[in-house]
Amino acid sequence: MARRIPLAVCFLSGLVMFAVYFSSHPVAEVINLSVPIYWQIVFAFTLIIGVISYAKNNLNAIRRRQDRPYRMVSLLGFAAMPIAAAVWGIKADTPFIWIFENIQVPMQSTVFALLAFFVASASFRGFRARSLPAGVLLVTALLVLMSRTPLGNVIEYLPDAADWLREFPSMSARRAILVGIGLGSLTTSLRVIIGIERTWLGGEK
Amino acid sequence: MKRLEARHWTFIGLFLTIGITMLLNFRLDIPVSDRTRVLYDYIEQLPSGSTLIVSFDHEASSVPEIRPIALSILRHAFKKGHKLIGVALLAEGTLIGYRLMRQTAEEYGRVYGADYVYLGFRPQYIAAILSMGKSIRETYPQDYRGNDYDSLPMLRGIENYSDIAGVLSIADGSLTTHWIEYGRGRFDIPVAAGVTAAMVTTYDPYVASGQLDAMVGGLRGAAEYEQLIAREGGGIRGMLAQSSAHVYVVVLIIIGNIIHFASRRRRAA
Repeated sequence: MARRIPLAVCFLSGLVMFAVYFSSHPVAEVINLSVPIYWQIVFAFTLIIGVISYAKNNLNAIRRRQDRPYRMVSLLGFAAMPIAAAVWGIKADTPFIWIFENIQVPMQSTVFALLAFFVASASFRGFRARSLPAGVLLVTALLVLMSRTPLGNVIEYLPDAADWLREFPSMSARRAILVGIGLGSLTTSLRVIIGIERTWLGGEK
Repeated sequence: MKRLEARHWTFIGLFLTIGITMLLNFRLDIPVSDRTRVLYDYIEQLPSGSTLIVSFDHEASSVPEIRPIALSILRHAFKKGHKLIGVALLAEGTLIGYRLMRQTAEEYGRVYGADYVYLGFRPQYIAAILSMGKSIRETYPQDYRGNDYDSLPMLRGIENYSDIAGVLSIADGSLTTHWIEYGRGRFDIPVAAGVTAAMVTTYDPYVASGQLDAMVGGLRGAAEYEQLIAREGGGIRGMLAQSSAHVYVVVLIIIGNIIHFASRRRRAA
């Protein structure tokens, strides 16, 4: 019973949402446009589960003395933001905004910027023409990179060559991937709705 | 002291390359691409006073790249006298978007509530896009500042996407795809985007198929847009750092391959 009810709910929800998408009947329109509101509410509850799980995992790890300092900093930040928001609010010139603008944004931008250094190092050590496919990849990368530099303004055909690469080989590959993702999503959705795919219910049985 | 390895020298080289280029501060010649001009023309050709949704669909980490793109687009829209509704599909983009809108609105003397409003963040982006298609009022009963929807003069008469001229998604990830799939696909609202350079190839097929009306990509796109509106916002200067880093990487790849082929020849001999 514990598995049949969720399966039935899933089947009916999938079937109804699929049917109403293609219907212009007023009732179908109401269902179609009202469900997202409930979806947001359900999503908000999943956030609560995430918050509890995150706190629990870190507290357990601290008890086991595993990466203690990092996890403590993590929990401190985790607690500081909602406390700051609850006590002083989230409007301009509050501690919440100060922490966001002066700690979170610079830290995230810094971590993101570090990628440039790793890309430089990786391109020096790894981007080598060891085989024909690697050579083709290398020439392609060099053309696109150089077209984005001032060299692209000096060598007349460089931007055109880079644009051609993006608009034909790259885009056709991208389209193939997108179509593949679409078909894969469709198949998986059908398997879930029909009840063939049951891993979302958890457990092995 | 520990001896520096090759990778450390590449890090130092990159730091010096960018640092020296920024100090020299020379001006790059950046021709405006057709693609950037399409977005410019799209905003330019809308009748003055058109209402646009600007969606800040990005995280804090991409601010250095996103900021110049957003500033250029917002400045152009405010300069043309369009009414802007700010929303955010990611929580981190909420405050950044609000600050950017407020800053640009002040530059052009636009008034909150009359010329622009900021509705803020709603969880679950697909649900948020779909529910705005039914009713923006029901999705956002209050704006980011806590004002009631109906108390804001600009929002009177705006019920759903049928009252909106288009959506401008400022994104560092795949969220613009949801605007295309659900906003455009379901409600037929025009969607344009300002995205980070890494996402440009993701959206190329959508631009080519006409599902995405216009797109500006990366710092280069921002720099091009700044030239079109004749106002700098960090894109042109950012391009200086980015271009020097690109040249540096190209040089590194060439040196790496010279070393590779030289050592292969040595081994063969």
